[in-house]
Amino acid sequence: MNANAEEFEIKDRLKLIESMMAEGRHSTENWGWTFVLWGVAYFIATAWSSLGANGKVLAWPVTMIAAAIITVFGAARTKNGQPETTLGRAVGAVWSAMGMSLFILLMSLGWSHHYDTNVAVAIIGAMLGTANAACSFMLKWKMQFACAVAWLASTIVACFGTEAQAFIAFLVATFFCQIVFGVYAMICESRRRRQGGAVHA
Amino acid sequence: MHDERGPELPELNPVIHGKLRLALLSLLAGVEEAEFTWLRGKTASTDGNLGAQLMKLEEAGYVSVEKKFVQRKPQTIYRITGAGRAALAEYVQALKQLLGAAINE
Repeated sequence: MNANAEEFEIKDRLKLIESMMAEGRHSTENWGWTFVLWGVAYFIATAWSSLGANGKVLAWPVTMIAAAIITVFGAARTKNGQPETTLGRAVGAVWSAMGMSLFILLMSLGWSHHYDTNVAVAIIGAMLGTANAACSFMLKWKMQFACAVAWLASTIVACFGTEAQAFIAFLVATFFCQIVFGVYAMICESRRRRQGGAVHA
Repeated sequence: MHDERGPELPELNPVIHGKLRLALLSLLAGVEEAEFTWLRGKTASTDGNLGAQLMKLEEAGYVSVEKKFVQRKPQTIYRITGAGRAALAEYVQALKQLLGAAINE
């Protein structure tokens, strides 16, 4: 084998190893749809709760339970056949713990009639900010860190602003950090799936 | 080395040197465990070829296999072993040394 062919073959193998290892790591990142789903759920609940007395009582519990059920079924389908990775489990753990805590907290606040828009937005913003920041550090993803900053900004607005300002901050953060970011994540995932090459040995 | 048979790197671990086996070990190095069907999809190989190559890796002690049923469907799960990880690391190291030698030639 001449030096050039040998060099090419070695580089080809190193590239194959690197791309296959990266393929495994990226396989667990098909979660953009959950951001969009929860963003849409927040908007539906908000719109429904503004429709009247019945809406105020039912909107959040019904929408959140429906979104949780869809997430569980969707997650089972998404994970089907996907490999288990430490990184995937770590990211999943952050979101599962955050989701459970937020779900129980908001349900309890709603049913105990202690719900206050400013407090709720401050808590939601802080928890989603923490989860997004933790994941952005793990995945080294600047876009997700920007979402964390936006959620934390909504927390600050909720603490210092009026109820209307807190409400607007929540809707803006939901739109950018859930729906826009979710669609962006889905585009990244689909681009990566298209780029993922097969090994023809 | 100069011969007419095309690119070959005989000094390297022959178990890992096969391109499909190398891809499989690399895929498994990036995950904790993976199903047969996922490995087949990622490598675009046939069931027979994939099964044969995985068996070679298993015989060498580089991967472990677990067969189980999930919702009444059979699943074959593969994991890279410590020996497999060490062998892959050695292989990468050897490739880098060869690359250095090839560039300096």
